Order: sequence, then structure tokens, then C-alpha cells
Amino acid sequence: MGKQKIIPILAMAILLVGIISTLYVYAIQINKDTITVNGQEYTYDTLLLLGGEKTIETVDGEVAGVSLENLVKSIGIDCTSCNKYTIKAADGYQKTIEWDVLKTGVLSKESRVYFPDTPKALWVRDVVEIEVN
Amino acid sequence: MDKRLIAGVLVFGSLWGFSEVIIGTGLQNANLPYGAIMTGCFAISFLVLSRMIFRRPGMQLGMGVVAGGLRIFNPFVGCHLCSAIAIMAEAAIFEVIWYKMSSDFSDLKTITLQSSMGVATAYLVYVGGYVTTQILTPIVGGVGFYLENLIIFMPRILASGLLPAILGAAVLPVILQVRKLDFTLKDRLYYPTALGLTLLCWVGVIGFSVILG
Repeated sequence: MGKQKIIPILAMAILLVGIISTLYVYAIQINKDTITVNGQEYTYDTLLLLGGEKTIETVDGEVAGVSLENLVKSIGIDCTSCNKYTIKAADGYQKTIEWDVLKTGVLSKESRVYFPDTPKALWVRDVVEIEVN
Repeated sequence: MDKRLIAGVLVFGSLWGFSEVIIGTGLQNANLPYGAIMTGCFAISFLVLSRMIFRRPGMQLGMGVVAGGLRIFNPFVGCHLCSAIAIMAEAAIFEVIWYKMSSDFSDLKTITLQSSMGVATAYLVYVGGYVTTQILTPIVGGVGFYLENLIIFMPRILASGLLPAILGAAVLPVILQVRKLDFTLKDRLYYPTALGLTLLCWVGVIGFSVILG
């Protein structure tokens, strides 16, 4: 099969993959007002009561939010350093981090996590769940 | 190595890096899909134009190194090395895709073939760069790479490549029309022009980074 046939077929396959993936992403998008932490649903205000507010310095300036360290400790995790924590976004994006990183971060009112000394790729937006592994 | 080729690598690589940093930042600030536009329009344009003018496989990889060097001054996702390597990965992917393409572009005679090649190039370059960033950023950031995180996010990555693919479909036929124009610079103008453009790009990017930072 020559290039004259392969190239258009490849392009059509790629567009098909792109379209199907787009439809799938929209179908699995999670829309909710609460955040699941270790299997329990919480509103942001409840999380603020549990974890308290903390302000950290990031490359984008000061950010205030729920202290993730105090939040995890307050929900009854015995050995916080023994676990890994997966932060999940509404669109499927997720990052798994160790306790040493998690404890430095905050969860803002806009449902985004911030960490002072990490690449922005770890600042998950539209957080819907913090899973304890 | 041919001096004109080295100058070409420097110029086109610098222009690519310059557009990534300056124009990309502007698009991001305007809340536009800057990644898709940068790859589907600018990256494809520079890569294909340089291939058209110099007809030398491997040159685009050199351009990626130069553009990556500029990206270090203004990284996205806050990771200098990741940004640079992602651009180099995009250039490497382009080289692989265009490896068997004839140097006179006679394989792309029709608009259909040109658009199809634009789709394939833009999509694979964009998705490849995205995946590279997703792998490298947590590693370089010291938080570890978890394959399951990438696998779960793959549908989103594959979906995000659709816009660059559509842009590439439109851009590549337009770029290939440039073949019909005759741009020739004499040597006494070529090297000063190349040097001037390269310096302008680097000074612009470094100055921009200093102002921001």
C-alpha cells in the first residue's frame, strides 16, 4: 500500500481516535460540589473546619487554602507517612504523591491543590477526590 | 557540516523557541488553547518550512535542541528541563514521521494528502510532547512517576490532540504553497540576517523572562 493511501487512512484513524476520546472524556467528566477524601464526601467548608486554613508561598505568589497535612491527620489516618495519596480531578487527571509532598500543600476554594516546591503539573485543578493508598 | 545548514538550524530553532515563549505566553494569558495553537500552527510551520528550504533530514532535531534551549528560560508547568525535553521530543517525532518523505515533497501532490499529513504530524507531535511532559515532570520534580496516572489520563491526552490535528490540516497545505515563492538570500546577506534574527529571538526571550521573573 503506497503513501498515497496510507497517509489519508492514518489521518482518518487519528481523527477518529481524537473524536472518540473527546466524547469519552465528556461522558466521564465528574460534576459535583463535594470532594471525596478517603472514601467520605465533604464540602469545602467542612474540609476547612477539619483542616484549618494555611497560607503557602508558591511560584505564583501566596496561596491560602485547607491545610492538607491537618486535613489528613484529622480524618483518622494512623500512619500518614505510610501511605501514598492520589489527587484526582474531574477530567480524569490525577497525580500520586508521597506524604512528604502532600503535607506541604493546600486545597484552595477553587478546588485546586498547590504545593510550594513542586512543578505546576502537580497542582491538580478541579479536585474531586483525594484517595489514600 | 554546511554553514548555511547550521545557520538555518539556529534561525528556525530560535524562531520556534521565541514563538513558544512569547506568543505561547500571550495566548495562555488570553485563555486560548495555546498548546494546540503553538503545535498546530507554529511548530508545524517552522518544521515544515525548514524541511522545505534545506531538504535535510535531521535538521529539525537540531532545531528542537535550540528551541528547547530557549524554553528553559520560560518553562511551562514550572519544570525547566521537562519543557526543553518536550520540545526536543516533538522535533524527534517530526523526524520519524517525515523520515520517508521525499525531499521535493512530491509525495504530497494533492490537498487531501497535504491536509492528511498535517493532521498526522500535528497530532502525533502534540500528543508525543504531552506524554513526554507527563512522564518527565514528576520524575524531575522528585515526586515519582506512576504509570497508572498516565494510563488513566490517556483519553484526555488523546482528545486534546484533536484541535492541533485540525489546525495542522489547514496549516500544512498553506505552508507548502510557499514552495512556489522564491526566497534566495545572497551569502553576504544570509549570515548577518540569520545571526540578527537568532540574536533577536534570544534577547527577546531572556529579556521577557527577566521582566516576568
